[in-house]
Amino acid sequence: MTTAVQFQESPPLKAPGQLSPRIAWLREYYFKGADRKWNNQFLAWSTGTPWDVQFNEMTFYIVPETYTLLQTLRGSFRQAARDVDLPEAFWSWSLPERRAWFVREVMVNHVPREILPGDLLAGARFNLQTSLCLTKTEQKTFDEALLGSNGARARMKWFHDHGYGNTGATSGHLVPDHARALQIGWQGIHADLSRCYESLSPEDQMGPRGAQLRAMMAAATMPRDLAAAYGDLCRQMAQTATDDQRREELRQMAANLKRVPWEPPRTFWEAVQALWLNHMLIMSDENYPGPGVSFGRIDQYLLPYWQTALKEGMDRAFGKEVLKCFWIHCNTVYDAMIRNGRQGITSGFGQLITLAGLGPDGQDMTNDLTYAILEVIDEMSPILEPKPNVRLHRNSPPELLDKVVGMISGSQGAPFLLNFDERAMAGMMREAERGGCRHMIRPDNVHDYAPVGCLENTMVGNDRSGTVDNNLNLLKAVELALTGGRDLLPFTNPMTGKTEPIQQDGPATGDAATFDRWEDFWNAYEAQTDYIIRKCVDTYEASESARARFFPTPYLSCLVRGCAEKGLDVTRGGAELSFTTLEAVTFATTVDSLLAIKYLVFDNHKCTLAELIDALKANWQGFEVLQATARNKAPKYGRDDDAADVMARKVMDLWCDLTWQHRTQSTKRQFRPGMLSWNYWAGDGFVMAASADGRPRGQFLSNAICPSNGADIKGPTANANSVGKVLGGRSGDGRADWGDTFNCLPNGASHTITFHPAIIRDPEHQAKFKAFLQGYAENGGTCLQVNMLDPDMLRDAQQNPQDYPHLLVRITGYNAYFTAIGKELQNEVIERVSHQGY
Amino acid sequence: MHANDLHRSSRKPTGPDAMLFEIQRLSTEDGPGIRTTVFFKGCSLACAWCHNPESISARPQLHWLASRCIGCGTCCTVCPESALDLTAEGIVIDRGRCTLCGECAAECPSTAMEIIGTRWGLDDLVREVLKDRAYFARSNGGVTASGGEPLLQAPFLSAFLKALKQEGVHTAVDTCGCFPAAALADVLPHTDLVLYDLKEIDPERHRRFTGRSNEQILDNLRTIGTRMESGVSPQELWIRTPVIPDATATAASIVGIGQWIGAHLPGLVARWELCAFNNLCQDKYQRLDRDWPYKHQPLLTQDTMERLADAARHSGVDPDTVHWSGNTRMPAAKQHGRTDPSPQMSTA
Repeated sequence: MTTAVQFQESPPLKAPGQLSPRIAWLREYYFKGADRKWNNQFLAWSTGTPWDVQFNEMTFYIVPETYTLLQTLRGSFRQAARDVDLPEAFWSWSLPERRAWFVREVMVNHVPREILPGDLLAGARFNLQTSLCLTKTEQKTFDEALLGSNGARARMKWFHDHGYGNTGATSGHLVPDHARALQIGWQGIHADLSRCYESLSPEDQMGPRGAQLRAMMAAATMPRDLAAAYGDLCRQMAQTATDDQRREELRQMAANLKRVPWEPPRTFWEAVQALWLNHMLIMSDENYPGPGVSFGRIDQYLLPYWQTALKEGMDRAFGKEVLKCFWIHCNTVYDAMIRNGRQGITSGFGQLITLAGLGPDGQDMTNDLTYAILEVIDEMSPILEPKPNVRLHRNSPPELLDKVVGMISGSQGAPFLLNFDERAMAGMMREAERGGCRHMIRPDNVHDYAPVGCLENTMVGNDRSGTVDNNLNLLKAVELALTGGRDLLPFTNPMTGKTEPIQQDGPATGDAATFDRWEDFWNAYEAQTDYIIRKCVDTYEASESARARFFPTPYLSCLVRGCAEKGLDVTRGGAELSFTTLEAVTFATTVDSLLAIKYLVFDNHKCTLAELIDALKANWQGFEVLQATARNKAPKYGRDDDAADVMARKVMDLWCDLTWQHRTQSTKRQFRPGMLSWNYWAGDGFVMAASADGRPRGQFLSNAICPSNGADIKGPTANANSVGKVLGGRSGDGRADWGDTFNCLPNGASHTITFHPAIIRDPEHQAKFKAFLQGYAENGGTCLQVNMLDPDMLRDAQQNPQDYPHLLVRITGYNAYFTAIGKELQNEVIERVSHQGY
Repeated sequence: MHANDLHRSSRKPTGPDAMLFEIQRLSTEDGPGIRTTVFFKGCSLACAWCHNPESISARPQLHWLASRCIGCGTCCTVCPESALDLTAEGIVIDRGRCTLCGECAAECPSTAMEIIGTRWGLDDLVREVLKDRAYFARSNGGVTASGGEPLLQAPFLSAFLKALKQEGVHTAVDTCGCFPAAALADVLPHTDLVLYDLKEIDPERHRRFTGRSNEQILDNLRTIGTRMESGVSPQELWIRTPVIPDATATAASIVGIGQWIGAHLPGLVARWELCAFNNLCQDKYQRLDRDWPYKHQPLLTQDTMERLADAARHSGVDPDTVHWSGNTRMPAAKQHGRTDPSPQMSTA
């Protein structure tokens, strides 16, 4: 890692600011966590049958940290579940109808309702574990599909244990059609559903489509009835309120709830109230708190309400106050397992909001609400939810860039992700082409795209693309190419201590030690890549088909266009755009390993392939010179070195082409490519064997589309250029996926760059950083996370200099490698960065 | 960027070539905007405080980075001159025997043996620096030629800057001013901005600090000023003054420079930057087997820099043009709660 640095002072730690007593109290109360009297932890509910189960473990299959807890969670929710009285006809209904009724019944008639002191929004508890509502036979079939010896759980475990990655049908990860739900209210949605139902033939009404629409109609009344119940609560509280202002607020909240979300909102306050209820009930419906249930372009669809309210005399500060209450509500998702701490799934949900960006005809859509929301983020930070993603493009207004860079300067790294429109939209247009949906994603509407979760680009309101469902370690194909389709090392079960014999898993691509030409090795790599993708597709099918059959989400389906028209639940592929995404993990480690094999074995004869395999089996023990050569002398991706980046392109093109070829059998969702690594690149570094790039087992793999740790020795611009190049770069003749820009990853790719805080130390340097972001919009990827170099990393570099040979400290024209300067000076640099004692 | 990369990326140059020791991308300290700075090897001065000692010699140099070395001894084995020895203290280079053939650096698996200095052909270098033009464009950034003294390689420099101007890229030259006057005529027509070092006005003190008198430096600077007055390039001139303890870090020294600027370059200097002494380079001297008189020298205090900047503002220049930059001394190290209590982490 090369980091250009100069510094005089590092910024003070970010603290919240300008909060009213109301918000300050709510924020502080929220951060009391488990000490709070009120919380929003999972409440479990049962049909009362002896076979009843609540927990849908499939949504945790992409969270390896939870694998050992799955059985416990299943049992503990079951034990804690309270029985709900069922209507007589319950078991005669279809599964979607049972589920719709049950969730609605629990939310409207069983879950306690509270309004926190001063809160301006109703809708507090929503974290549920509701009965799967299965009959005894259904439950038996489901359990076999899930827990049988070849069931979804066993297959997913094998996939992870052997270093392929993880895959599972996961909740959330879409942008519901909030704009429409506000425009026509649930009343309008319900009327649409009725029309769809009435238009069915009598046979269809009796069949699964009719059942689905009846379930959705039942679900569509849930927000109305819950709002009414909260309205009653507000009225009661108003009667006993002693404070005049608070009494008036509660009365107004009751009035708001009388109208929304059933009818379209008229004021900004009503719109935010409606949006919150509409959103939180998705999490109730899915029994999972907000994993990537994203809001989309909130500063666009709330803008008319904001403008009208301001015109009608709403104080801008009050509008922000309502938004800040919304911010607090979003964070209560984390209460779900508040007693179990915040590891794994509870550490980052990504209820993503999208701000700014392009509109039709290349116009910029930044507006007053964009800035108001950025102010809210600034004043509330540090706070985790909702996670903001700011869309930039080549002509973003300077005021927006100033605000963005100013906020980065005031925080430790960016309090938001940055999406880059031209590259992102190029990816969506590629999807239109490769996914056969040119009528849905068009040059005149592609600007409406929005990221979900973190940065995963989708269209809005009609798109579920399974953006975190499949996480495949491309590096596994290099391992299998070296061994001819067998694991390099045998798997030992940590629970039983039993070691499994190595088997022929992938295609027998031959003894790599006999290959004389690089092309032979590449061919083996191609064949194994084809195999690991098929393996992922097959493994996913196990949970995808089980979810489609046994876990309908009729409420969510009301908010996704296509489901009503098709009479098909969103879990069965009801969305107009129904893809599932294969997220490639270990990209740079894979590319660098291939580059190293080519360099060491075929181009420079530093070793034979047999010796290299021995070195990897030995985890480089006894092969230190070869390991150092692999690490330091072989070319690497991420340095803007065209020769190395050509290999990266080759790897990219191969797996993208293979990915587009697949579809789920049960739900007919086409696979599309993306690159998001979440935290797998860290954890799977312990699962996967040593790799030819010099990485020993136990060291982190590369993250998403980022170069390998420490490989980007040419600095951030070279790093960004490499990323843009492997996505496809730009065309010379102006013809590409979008304008002159190519992008082979419709989902987008996560890219993190670490800077020294000195790069934003004063207005002059902030302007330079702004220019970097503008250059990134031309040359870089789809999404950037800006991190600032922190003292912990420098301390790590001090203790493990071998991992940071190129960390450059630069002070007004004088360069020094951090690890090559004396300990005292290192300490001083650390001290300056951490800025402690100032 | 280190020498091996340079070595690898440059093909056998056919046309003119240059001896460089570094190319720094996303450079934010060598002129306006985002820049790529090309460091030319070889300098006409030998300042006692020099922060880039590897820039002084015009020839390639070998050094050994202890923090990278894995102690494999490959370098000793491959050295045809037996100039390298693996000792308990690490690799010892017999500089009398070393012919700079580069075998050790080529074979060292950990890049601990490094040759500083690589020849670059013109086309390759132009291609390399243009990789970041997207970042230059929005920030009035561009390419800075620095060193060392880039004007010692004036024919190449001139061709390089000319090629960049043809591509519409902003060019800057960062110079110590000590070069034959004829070089200016080649280089300045293709230079938008000159960053000119003025270290000391008194010729004798200048000689003491840098090994050379400053007459030629001042002459060259006057020539630049004359060109600018008649509307010929460069369009912009910045002065940079290293502020060095026990040398230039006195009000008299700074005021002397300010008075000279006021008298000879009235209204021509857009920025006068006082650059605080830095001591991060002490390990570089060690790696080149050289002693450095400043190795125990602490940084200047912020007060000193403020005081000198204030003196500069009152010395007869436009006060708005005066800036200072660089690290200053930390207050006495305190023990902080978060610091790892292990002995090797504690600050002295």
